[in-house]
Amino acid sequence: MIPFLINTMASVVIAVSTKMLSHNRMRFVMTVTGIAIAFFLAAAQIGLLVGWINTNSAIINNAGVDIWVMAKETRTLDYGTAIPRHRIQQVSSVKGVAWAEGMLVGWINWQHPEGKHITVEVIGLDNANAGGPWRMAEGNIASIRLPETVIVDELSKQALGTLHVGDEAEMEGRRVIIGGFSQGVRTFTAAPFVFTSIENALDYVPYYHYDEISYVLVRAVPNANILDIRDRIAQEVSDVEVLTTDEFAERSVKYWMLETGVGITVIITAALGLLVGAVIMSQTLFAITQDHIANYATLLALGFHQKTLRQIVLTQSLSLGGLGIIVGLVLFFLACNASARSPIPLETTPMVTMGLVAFSLLCCIASSWFSIRAIFKLDPVSVFHG
Amino acid sequence: MKSILTCQGITKSYGSGDIIENVLKQVDLEFFEGQASVLIGPSGSGKTTLLSILGCLLAPSEGQLLIADQSVNFFDKSSLTEVRRQKLGFIFQHAQLLPFLTIEENLAIVGRNAGMNDADIKQRLDNLLQRLELQAMRYKHPNQLSGGQRQRVAIARALLHRPSIVLADEPTAALDWLTGKTVVELLLEQARLEKAVLVVVTHDTRMLPLFDRILSIADGLLSEQQQTAIADNTFYTQT
Ligand SMILES: Nc1ncnc2c1ncn2[C@@H]1O[C@H](COP(=O)(O)OP(=O)(O)O)[C@@H](O)[C@H]1O
Ligand SMILES: [Mg+2]
Repeated sequence: MIPFLINTMASVVIAVSTKMLSHNRMRFVMTVTGIAIAFFLAAAQIGLLVGWINTNSAIINNAGVDIWVMAKETRTLDYGTAIPRHRIQQVSSVKGVAWAEGMLVGWINWQHPEGKHITVEVIGLDNANAGGPWRMAEGNIASIRLPETVIVDELSKQALGTLHVGDEAEMEGRRVIIGGFSQGVRTFTAAPFVFTSIENALDYVPYYHYDEISYVLVRAVPNANILDIRDRIAQEVSDVEVLTTDEFAERSVKYWMLETGVGITVIITAALGLLVGAVIMSQTLFAITQDHIANYATLLALGFHQKTLRQIVLTQSLSLGGLGIIVGLVLFFLACNASARSPIPLETTPMVTMGLVAFSLLCCIASSWFSIRAIFKLDPVSVFHG
Repeated sequence: MKSILTCQGITKSYGSGDIIENVLKQVDLEFFEGQASVLIGPSGSGKTTLLSILGCLLAPSEGQLLIADQSVNFFDKSSLTEVRRQKLGFIFQHAQLLPFLTIEENLAIVGRNAGMNDADIKQRLDNLLQRLELQAMRYKHPNQLSGGQRQRVAIARALLHRPSIVLADEPTAALDWLTGKTVVELLLEQARLEKAVLVVVTHDTRMLPLFDRILSIADGLLSEQQQTAIADNTFYTQT
């Protein structure tokens, strides 16, 4: 009945293409499944990448400040180096700065209660705890003001061997007490984060002097032009680099993704996933076109234009691909949800999702090339010899 | 009588160099409105080749084809498709219906492709299905029909968009004699009703008396036989 429903040739194209596909139900289901899996694999790789990027810049983005002041050539938050602590006062006095406080980052040794040693990344926080955990699972952030007290993430309980508030372990041979557990502060490196006060951190991190920190975190006055303030700080404070929060997040992400090669690997894997999908698609579509080549010849002989037949093939590739992508997207969103509280979350953004879907649809269109070529070469005179 | 289809000096040869095969030699022919012709000849004599040229599916090596006094341009594939879309109806040896569409859909897409509107397609479909006694088959798929029923659907499909020319290549070859005869009779009756030029290729000489003209090909040359009075052909009409 479909030919009667819509008023144009489009109805013929849609009716012929969908019915040709659904005629062989088994193959239809297999193809959609194959494309869905391929899309899911690619999406999972991209989701992993986005998850990593978010993890990577989470502390920077959640610090609630506008500008970061650091030693020159700092490549990523994790590799901050020492600057004098009085830079805080210097930065505070720059026009447009509402407040500024310090932060210390250091890599040291943590001794698991059972004896083994692991490397941790200590983050020393100033009075307002800027740069600290943004959600607590248990305990209070204020506990880091107590001597020897630290907060670790619930995701690293096992790794650190501290399962409860009040548990003890050692850092650099000195006692630490767990004051609480944060939630969702993942580490991109293998080293778990250990949050404490700058004062406590200075006691543990051997290579920092008592008058040194790693960063000055700056909050601008409301409605100020952040870029102007950034430039003013850079002018007035010597021997530092000044970045906005976005710039610093981008630099950190770029470092891990590009300079370490992690990102390239993930992107290549994602591209391979899409390629596999495109090959499945292309082969199936070609097989379907070949199976129906006599029917295409009949249509040509009956006065259907080449253009109409090409539209039929394209409609098929888009409907197979579209369905596969929808199923793959559902799988991907389920996986994102399921992994939300795991150490390796799959995450995405609307832009990334749309880009992935658009690129996949392009792959589908490209994969119909062989079929379209077969139709192009078709001579309708062959109907009499069928 | 109105001239619908004209061949002027049509020649067709296959191959090249030393192995040229001249299948058609200087064929001149003219068909008039409502005329039903049968085309006979030994296997490999060029019947399908001639029908393909008449159907704008194959370009002649030399000569001209005129449809409604318009010369057909065999170099422009798109305009050939246009001629087929508007002026021609085809019936093949095996009905060549699309297996994944119902009978109704098989017919409707042809009407739609020819630019007919909904109401016209529907009315034409109802009418043809009734004339060819296919109403019960309307929502069935081709594989649920017998060979004879499928050829009846093919007749309906060839006529649906009111072509001025209907071409059939051995439409009964895959059917038994009785079924085949019924199909050809129906085809003749419907084509005459539509005033379409009909050209049917067949091997079956028993069908000859049913047609207005008998054309025969041998050695690339076309000749026309005198249609004998039906009375003298009782042999052919016996069932
Ligand atoms: N595409 C082709 N290429 C070469 N030779 C062909 C081609 N089509 C038909 N022929 C030759 O042309 C002759 C006539 O073929 P055809 O028109 O199919 O005969 P018929 O339909 O009368 O049996 C045959 O000898 C056949 O081998
Ligand atoms: Mg033949």
